[in-house]
Amino acid sequence: MPENSVQDLLSHPAVQGGVAPLIAGFLAALALARTRFAGLAILAGYATVIALTTGFSFAPLSTSRKILLVGLATPLMGLAADFLPRAGRVFLLAFALAAALAAVWVFLPVLQNKDAATAWPITAGLALLAFALVWLVGTRRDDGVRTAAAGVGLGVALGIAALLSASTGYLLQGLGIAAASGGLLLVQMILNRGARTGFTAALPIAALIALFAGAIFVLAAAPWYALPLLVMVPLAAAVPVPAGWGTWLRAFAIGACAVAAALPTIIAAWHAARGSAG
Amino acid sequence: MSRLAVALLAAAISLPASAATESYTVDPLHTYPNFMVEHWGLSMMSGRFDKSTGKFSFDRAAKTGAVEFVIETASVTTGDNDKGARPRSRDEHLRAADFFNATEFPRMTFRSTKVAFQGDLPSSLEGNLTLLGVTKPVTLTLERFKCGQNPFNKKDRCGGNAVGKIKRSDFGMKTAIGPVGDEISLNISFEGDKD
Repeated sequence: MPENSVQDLLSHPAVQGGVAPLIAGFLAALALARTRFAGLAILAGYATVIALTTGFSFAPLSTSRKILLVGLATPLMGLAADFLPRAGRVFLLAFALAAALAAVWVFLPVLQNKDAATAWPITAGLALLAFALVWLVGTRRDDGVRTAAAGVGLGVALGIAALLSASTGYLLQGLGIAAASGGLLLVQMILNRGARTGFTAALPIAALIALFAGAIFVLAAAPWYALPLLVMVPLAAAVPVPAGWGTWLRAFAIGACAVAAALPTIIAAWHAARGSAG
Repeated sequence: MSRLAVALLAAAISLPASAATESYTVDPLHTYPNFMVEHWGLSMMSGRFDKSTGKFSFDRAAKTGAVEFVIETASVTTGDNDKGARPRSRDEHLRAADFFNATEFPRMTFRSTKVAFQGDLPSSLEGNLTLLGVTKPVTLTLERFKCGQNPFNKKDRCGGNAVGKIKRSDFGMKTAIGPVGDEISLNISFEGDKD
């Protein structure tokens, strides 16, 4: 294939935010399916989106670059925790608190530039969202199907909300998380058995989506009320299914519920876009 | 020699130079930074910033000068503020994180480091452009620079057009490179009254 055609292909948004992270997530999950590292599929997908769009640079340390740092650090922190024999609720609580602090670190400096009076309440809200998403996704971390389904639903919700809020960058990154999670889910469906995803997948999915959500609110035009609706996705991914169902059917049903739960966030963003004057 | 005498001597020596320096404050109603960028490889689309401030000064005899422009990134307009049936207008998108990220980086600045002269008037500006928190050296050519008198307040007034090119990717603005060109043509039209 001529070099220009390859370049055109790799610069196409559908490839950057969809096909490429899906393939990266799928291949990583497939290669690591029989290990405890299958959750690295999320890192593979996310890193692919970044490599194809903004690239890896950390100066100046802007909001988007802080989010990138969190996106690269959380899977590694999760991996370390998954190695520990008793990484239970205390770890989950610690990670949820760390995600809340990360939201403060990412957004407070920007919000203080804009409007000091409202900076703290907004930052507190974004910290609460990060805490809630990490807690809710983290509680399903031992179930690879539910974790991946939550990633698909959250990524779809965030990506489409970003598009409706004038941010194609976070559209691609949100859909990238959905695609990588989809690859992880697909591997479990094909192999007809759940993968051990653990904190390695749950942490980046939840922390990144929470920070993307903050970014499309603070730096783009997402309405505040679209953000808390995101918690419906991990709640939907906890939907009970009959114990006798195979992995394929479980993945399909739970994935469908998670994607359906993305709708309220999308509708809220769409409603705000229709009502805005700009 | 007493300290007072030294101070008086120093003041006397510096007086001719400072007296020759003309300082101007830009008139925001006649100062508009404009830009052009290629779209889909077809046309050159244009936009401008509606709010900017700045100062410039020059010494015709010493052939020195200084220029500073401060541009409010949220004031960007490309003539597409009415989104109609679309979710968002182009100008909303330009203000958001993908492009000028106006909430996080509300100002873009150009500060000269060297002003070159042709005759007794400035002809080009070497300086640093700061956009999205990234500072890069940029040279702007003064396509025109003329001085006259403001007919209303009778103050001396100078103005011109400073033009140059930058690559937006150098400043980390990488969204949609390809469909929207990387190379940006800048044209800052400015006027200012003598202080």
